[in-house]
Amino acid sequence: MGRIVGIDLGTTNSLVAYVDSQTGRPRCIIGPYGSTLCPSVVSLDPDGNVIVGEPARKRLLTQPERTIYSVKRLMGRGVADIQDEVKLFPFRVDAASKNVIRVQLGDKSFTAPEISSFILRELKNWAEAHFGESVDRAVITVPAYFNDAQRQATKDAGKLAGLDVLRLVNEPTAASLAYGLHEKQRGLVAVYDLGGGTFDISILKLIATSEGDIYQVLSTNGDTHLGGDDIDNLLQAFIHEQILQSDEIDFSPHGEIAQELRKELISLKHGLSEKESAKLRFPLPNGKTFEFEFTRGMLDAMIRPVMERTMTPVKRALADAQLKPEQMDEVVLVGGTTRTPFIRRTVQEFFGRAPHTELNPDEVVALGASVQANILERGVSNMLLLDVTPLSLGIETYGGAIGKIIPRNSPIPASAQEMYTTGVDNQTGIDIHVLQGERELAKDCRSLARFTLKVPPAPAGLPRIEVKFLIDANGILQVGAKDVRTGEQQQIEVRPSYGLDDAEIERILEESIEYAEQDFAERQVIEARTEAESILVATSKALAGDQSNALPAGDRAKIDAAVAALKESVTGSDYKLIRKRIDELNHATQDLAEIVMNSAISSALKGKSVGEV
Amino acid sequence: MTAPAKTSALPADYFCVFGLPRKLWIEMNALEQKFLQLSWKLHPDNFVNASEEERELSLKRSSELNDAYRTLKDPVARVEYLLAIEGERKEGEKKQQAPPELLEEVFELNESMDELREAKAAGLELDGMKERLHAAETNFGQKLAEVDADMRQTAKDWDNAVDAGAEEASRKQIMARLNDHLNRRSYIRNLVLNVAKELEEA
Repeated sequence: MGRIVGIDLGTTNSLVAYVDSQTGRPRCIIGPYGSTLCPSVVSLDPDGNVIVGEPARKRLLTQPERTIYSVKRLMGRGVADIQDEVKLFPFRVDAASKNVIRVQLGDKSFTAPEISSFILRELKNWAEAHFGESVDRAVITVPAYFNDAQRQATKDAGKLAGLDVLRLVNEPTAASLAYGLHEKQRGLVAVYDLGGGTFDISILKLIATSEGDIYQVLSTNGDTHLGGDDIDNLLQAFIHEQILQSDEIDFSPHGEIAQELRKELISLKHGLSEKESAKLRFPLPNGKTFEFEFTRGMLDAMIRPVMERTMTPVKRALADAQLKPEQMDEVVLVGGTTRTPFIRRTVQEFFGRAPHTELNPDEVVALGASVQANILERGVSNMLLLDVTPLSLGIETYGGAIGKIIPRNSPIPASAQEMYTTGVDNQTGIDIHVLQGERELAKDCRSLARFTLKVPPAPAGLPRIEVKFLIDANGILQVGAKDVRTGEQQQIEVRPSYGLDDAEIERILEESIEYAEQDFAERQVIEARTEAESILVATSKALAGDQSNALPAGDRAKIDAAVAALKESVTGSDYKLIRKRIDELNHATQDLAEIVMNSAISSALKGKSVGEV
Repeated sequence: MTAPAKTSALPADYFCVFGLPRKLWIEMNALEQKFLQLSWKLHPDNFVNASEEERELSLKRSSELNDAYRTLKDPVARVEYLLAIEGERKEGEKKQQAPPELLEEVFELNESMDELREAKAAGLELDGMKERLHAAETNFGQKLAEVDADMRQTAKDWDNAVDAGAEEASRKQIMARLNDHLNRRSYIRNLVLNVAKELEEA
């Protein structure tokens, strides 16, 4: 079995972490560009290669039509849901999209789980390069307020990336796990998590028991479409307006210039967390430079509405836990957006205590995910996470009303049984509509699934079908039905209304496995060839030198044969064969290498006194 | 669509899950301790590497534990659950009907709410009406507290009856009282929520 990792699949950045077996501490893996953050950006080359992370982020400026960011906003959502997002984000929705949104990247289109799977695959590669071993299992974090469809979409993404998703963990819960381990916290903890695109608040109770520490979530609330992105949108709209007024230039919010401007504004926003003011200098297409002096006060004015929108969920979470802000023992800030001084100050004022910021707010969720991954890998542990379902689960009843069967903030796994019967004679099916949400009418809640219970023909009211709804530890719904009279079980396939169905997953999976194996093999061939190249160059250089004369004739023949064999293997694409021939050449050149080494040392010593060495 | 007709379906006895008798007074701290202790044993996180059968069983047992905890923790849900497993919970049509002794006050309240809505639509001054509604809100809030007190008292009667090994008939009579309290409570609570909503919107 391969290694297990924790992954924070974020709106803006994604990270992968593991628990160091030597120190027992969680660590984020540094990627090929020197950072633990992998920008959640995916770009598709004209020749079909998928590019993820930093290089893809650069393409936002040069090839915006084949590059996508913030895809997390589309997870588990239908075409009708995202009309607002489309106005603000450069999502090019494939016109042929039905229930599941397909995004156009160049001339191809992909679903959100597929695009997310590219990001996960990239992180998997980072981890495999780090360990030198395969990675096949993961704990992936999701916003606590994600609904069933969004969770299912995330799990699908993991599957598509070739990962066995052992658990979906809520982001604030993961953060508290990392802090709990780090700070040995106890008591009531509020986790305020404002990321790039989502906001969560969770209230937890950390309890020390004789068997270990329990992290019990008491309540959670949030907004899955609220985050730093919204501040960026406000900034961008403001500057567009300024440019329109001063230079009468109106550019589409989706074009290359807009992406360039957005990038500038984001770095300006980051700068204002440290400085009181910052100047924007932006070259315009008319050759002029637009200049604007930004103060922290102006930025605060734009953050204020976003901050205020977070307070309603905060108050609801506290009310559900029957607690008051001043009862919190600790307050933890998570997510890059909480670096903003205005947000820190406002949170501090609300809870009446200084929030914890010791751990890097970008990394803390991934660190917590790896802690949970480690717990699950070992099977038995001295830590236990008890989480809740963020939204009430209900069934549509007469007149479009909703009957709640599992209330929000119920500890998960949670279940509910309902008994159904027929209304007319010989009715053969009963339609069930499952929803998630807090509103009283079905039309205002999130439709999760519709299915029909099969009923054997009988007089009205006689059949008794028991339906069991179960929310598992990932927050994902399972449904089973039993005919009470016959004892016959019905397997009910519940796929979210806006999700991929099993056939689609299988198809994508088959394609991606083909791609993946191809990708993997191609990468291996390239790496093996590069290595062969360098050893061939080194060997021929050594053979050309005077030192090679010291080589026994038999050795020389062996080396020549090994060189010829390696050169021949490089023309093919069997990387295992190339590796084998590299090993053989290495073996054949052992003596040569020694001679070269000795002569290098003696030439280095030449002309130097012993004392200088 | 033929809307589903449902009757009740009940899983394992929640009182048994915690090893408790079917009584209504529960020591909350002990309930929580027991919940945490059983969670260590049953939670699916401890069975990730186990056989599929064991994983299924852990999912089933831990969801029952959580359902039981969620229900018994809440005093009102606890009463509802007890009546349900004893087969004595009768919502019937009473749910939507005002209890007779409240009829007059409910009538007045509905009138005040209508007036407020009309005045709001006409853009009139609302302060006086709001004040009346606030008074009604306080009044029904007190009634809610009274029902809760009645419920606590009857719950004690139930526990005593269980301890004394009372006859079926007297138990049923207590449960009928509990059932009335529940229906009355649910009615008044909806009223209070509606007034609060109306005031918030005004």
